[in-house]
Amino acid sequence: MGCGSSTLGRDSRPLGRDNSENGGGQDAKNLRVKLVLLGDSGVGKSCIVLRFVRGQFDPTSKVTVGASFLSQTIALQDSTTVKFEIWDTAGQERYAALAPLYYRGAAVAVIVYDITSPESFSKAQYWVKELQKHGSPEIVLALVGNKADLHEKREVAVQDGIDYAEKNGMFFIETSAKTADNINELFEEIAKRLPRPSAS
Amino acid sequence: MLLSLLSKRSLEVDSRDSYGFALRPQYAQRYREYSSIYKEEEGERSYKWRSFLGEAPNSAKPSSPEKKHKETSEVECNEVKEESSSNKVCKEDDLSSKNISEGTKEVGVGGVSEGGDLSGNKSSGVNEIKEGTSAGRVCEGGNSSGRKVVFDSSIENSSEKDLHYSEERKTRKVQRWAEIRPSLSAIEKLMSSRFKKGNDVKGEIRNGNNDHLPYIEKSKLGGGVSATDVNKSSAALVVEDSLQQFSLWKELEFLVQGGIPKDLRGEVWQAFVGVKTRRVKSYYEDLLAKETINAESNEQNDTSTASGKWRKQIEKDITRTFPGHPALDEHGRNSLRRLLLAYARHNPSVGYCQAMNFFAGLLLLLMPEENAFWTFVGIIDDYFGGCYTEEMIESQVDQLVFEELMRERFPKLVNHLEYLGVQVTWISGPWFLSIFVNMIPWESVLRVWDVLLFEGNRVMLFRTALALMELYGPALVTTKDAGDAITLLQSLAGSTFDSSQLVLTACMGFLAVTEEKLHELREKHRPSVLEVVEERARKGRLWKDSKGIASKLYSFKHDQEPLVEEKKVSKGDDMAANEEIPRLESHSSDLDELLHSLNVDSEVDSLPDLQEQVVWLKVELCRLLEEKRNAILRAEELETALMDMVKQDNRLQLSARIEELEQEVAELQQVLADKKEQEVAMMQVLVKLEHDQKDTEDARKRAEQELAAQKLEVHILQEKYEKAMISIAELQKRVIVAESMLEATLQYESGQNKALSSPRVGGRQSPHTDSNSRFGLLFGRGWLDKNKGKSNAEESGESLSSNAALGTESNDQEKQT
Repeated sequence: MGCGSSTLGRDSRPLGRDNSENGGGQDAKNLRVKLVLLGDSGVGKSCIVLRFVRGQFDPTSKVTVGASFLSQTIALQDSTTVKFEIWDTAGQERYAALAPLYYRGAAVAVIVYDITSPESFSKAQYWVKELQKHGSPEIVLALVGNKADLHEKREVAVQDGIDYAEKNGMFFIETSAKTADNINELFEEIAKRLPRPSAS
Repeated sequence: MLLSLLSKRSLEVDSRDSYGFALRPQYAQRYREYSSIYKEEEGERSYKWRSFLGEAPNSAKPSSPEKKHKETSEVECNEVKEESSSNKVCKEDDLSSKNISEGTKEVGVGGVSEGGDLSGNKSSGVNEIKEGTSAGRVCEGGNSSGRKVVFDSSIENSSEKDLHYSEERKTRKVQRWAEIRPSLSAIEKLMSSRFKKGNDVKGEIRNGNNDHLPYIEKSKLGGGVSATDVNKSSAALVVEDSLQQFSLWKELEFLVQGGIPKDLRGEVWQAFVGVKTRRVKSYYEDLLAKETINAESNEQNDTSTASGKWRKQIEKDITRTFPGHPALDEHGRNSLRRLLLAYARHNPSVGYCQAMNFFAGLLLLLMPEENAFWTFVGIIDDYFGGCYTEEMIESQVDQLVFEELMRERFPKLVNHLEYLGVQVTWISGPWFLSIFVNMIPWESVLRVWDVLLFEGNRVMLFRTALALMELYGPALVTTKDAGDAITLLQSLAGSTFDSSQLVLTACMGFLAVTEEKLHELREKHRPSVLEVVEERARKGRLWKDSKGIASKLYSFKHDQEPLVEEKKVSKGDDMAANEEIPRLESHSSDLDELLHSLNVDSEVDSLPDLQEQVVWLKVELCRLLEEKRNAILRAEELETALMDMVKQDNRLQLSARIEELEQEVAELQQVLADKKEQEVAMMQVLVKLEHDQKDTEDARKRAEQELAAQKLEVHILQEKYEKAMISIAELQKRVIVAESMLEATLQYESGQNKALSSPRVGGRQSPHTDSNSRFGLLFGRGWLDKNKGKSNAEESGESLSSNAALGTESNDQEKQT
């Protein structure tokens, strides 16, 4: 993993055109957005991406090693298009050392937890703090409670998610990659919240 | 050896390749195109390997005559084995693996629950085992498989002590552990030299292990013997036929780069990693036994311990490892779980890291469980030491190194990617961490692993990644945005079905990428990674919940300290508690004295309740470990401070240099000033010269003017001369007139004279006057003629003209007279 990442950033090494590119594309009609998914292992980050990009759900998906990349373009009602460049990161705690490589320069961070796991919720809070400290200042943060279809096993109340998101100025939504509930809504909402380049 | 369980039928399903791995639908077509090539290559390969393995032992033979017998017997065994159908072996594996899960459990429980009694424990353990596997034996029936033949021969070769275990091994571990085919022993020997060091380390661990677990003391003897055996034989080999070994090595290298045949791969890998040398008998079972106890007694506070955390993570990942692979059914998953848990116990500084599940799964497909464990240990501890630890330091360093290599090799591509806002490490990071598993097609993964395991380091990782960049760089350069570039590279890498091309490009194209070079680059980049890691660690201390003390401790260690974790298991056994202390000594000399005193204290005090004592010891140990951690942190801080100072030192040097340079500059400036002065002087001289020149010029001009004046004078004189000439001409005319007049007068006079005398006589009378005047006339004419010619030739000559003038004057005077 590009661990070097963290080091590189610190040395103020030029990271390509990250800011201009990922901060929201070049023209007002066609945005390009770097989006990173973070969250505890097994909360369904890869499933959310696969559902969004390929419309599939595989209950037996593979462990993500390091990170994997997919992209998807959506059209909004105001006839603008948004191309999401999605980095799906590994969930295990030790991979957090490599996360800065992927979230640096990202315009959007989607932090995912599993509504049946309080532990994953506290891990999500860790990620929020980390991004507030080290992410780019105008980053759009979304908090996502996944596995909403398992409501009978719910252990994190909806209100907890809402409250925490509100407190931190984030967008909150509960999704289910399995049933496809709210998956497209999540990305559409993110697209709407993106800072637009001045349309003049 | 789960792979052998695969039935042909299950592989014929289109969505899986010949290894049983899922194929992505978009690559299915290409896979089918290549599968015939694979088959062809496989045929060639197995022929080459067969002939190599047939010859290898013979060529090594002359070295030691006493080995001759052994080796020939090995060859025979090999033949026997190869003749025996692999199906039989598979069946055996299949059947017995079913028993093993129950069997182990019983072994574990039986082994530890008995307590300190050494002999009783042993016997009971064996009994239990026999019970557990008896069912398996029944199932096997009288099937005398090729494997058994191998076993028997290997028993003959092994030392006496091994003999009475062999009985046990045959029943207990037949499916868990299998010796690799003897024909590969040459390769093993070849490789063993490089594991010598590792072997020594292992020896220490092993001894510690035995101290800690007295009831398996017997394994110390067996293990020790085998270790020294190997050392001796490898040393002998090194001395006696290093040359032969070298050529063997080269031949083997060539074969490995061409790929290892499927049916040999698992065993050859073991030979490469040195499984036989690494293996400590019953170590694996002991690790599993502890795991079982832990699971049963610590159920509640399980998650608080580090291993509990791993267990949870491993559990999460088991079903997400090659999901749907036909071999990873219930039993396969159990093996995978056991292996990963055992490793986490074996090396707590690594524990479990995502990606390891894939490696373990892959190894389990190729070899029996315990063999897979030792291969896994070799790969993670040695080949990838420091890569999968808590901070993944070496992985991070490798990425920086790779980035530098990329910049060196493909500057254009890197520039393009950077222009798009893509960092190479985003893509190469996952490649390295997964050792290409799931990143490129399986055939290629295995071929890369073949070389990687053969070489015994991570060079092949770099070479393969560079080869992929070389293959796909040209396509990447045409991409226009970051997303396209990454997607393209991912999908191109995923379609690298031409595994031979990949391996050859990697091995031949990047010969300059060697372990030495990588080492150098790693040294260069490591400090920056450590700095960041340390910073994170400092921050991390603020955020600690589920992290156990132990796991945090281990994250600061680079070397393996596998057994420290075990103190948690050692409850109720003061022997063990005391004996683990000497083991720690080897890890930290700082702690030596403290621990010694601790040891003594505990004996002197002899607390009434052993339990209490253990608790106290534990607390004390934790405190000490905490202290040690702090010390390490402090040391690291000091190190950074030192680095800073060194840097400052550099600055001093630099400033000295700058001063020097400044002095030089000053000197140069002085010289410059001197030169300028000289220049000024020169200028003055020049000006003077110019003045002089001007003067001379003036003089010249004056002279010219003078000349002109003189010329004018000459001109005037000429004019005068001409005038004079004109006057002369007039005078001549007058002279002529005068002459004619004179003649006329003379004629008249003569006429008069005639008239006076006679006209005839008259003429003769005055001859002398006549001649006189004639003389005067002639003289005048002759002079005139002479004078005319002269003036025609040259008009100049003042004196002449003046003479002429004088002459004319005298003439005039003459005329007048």
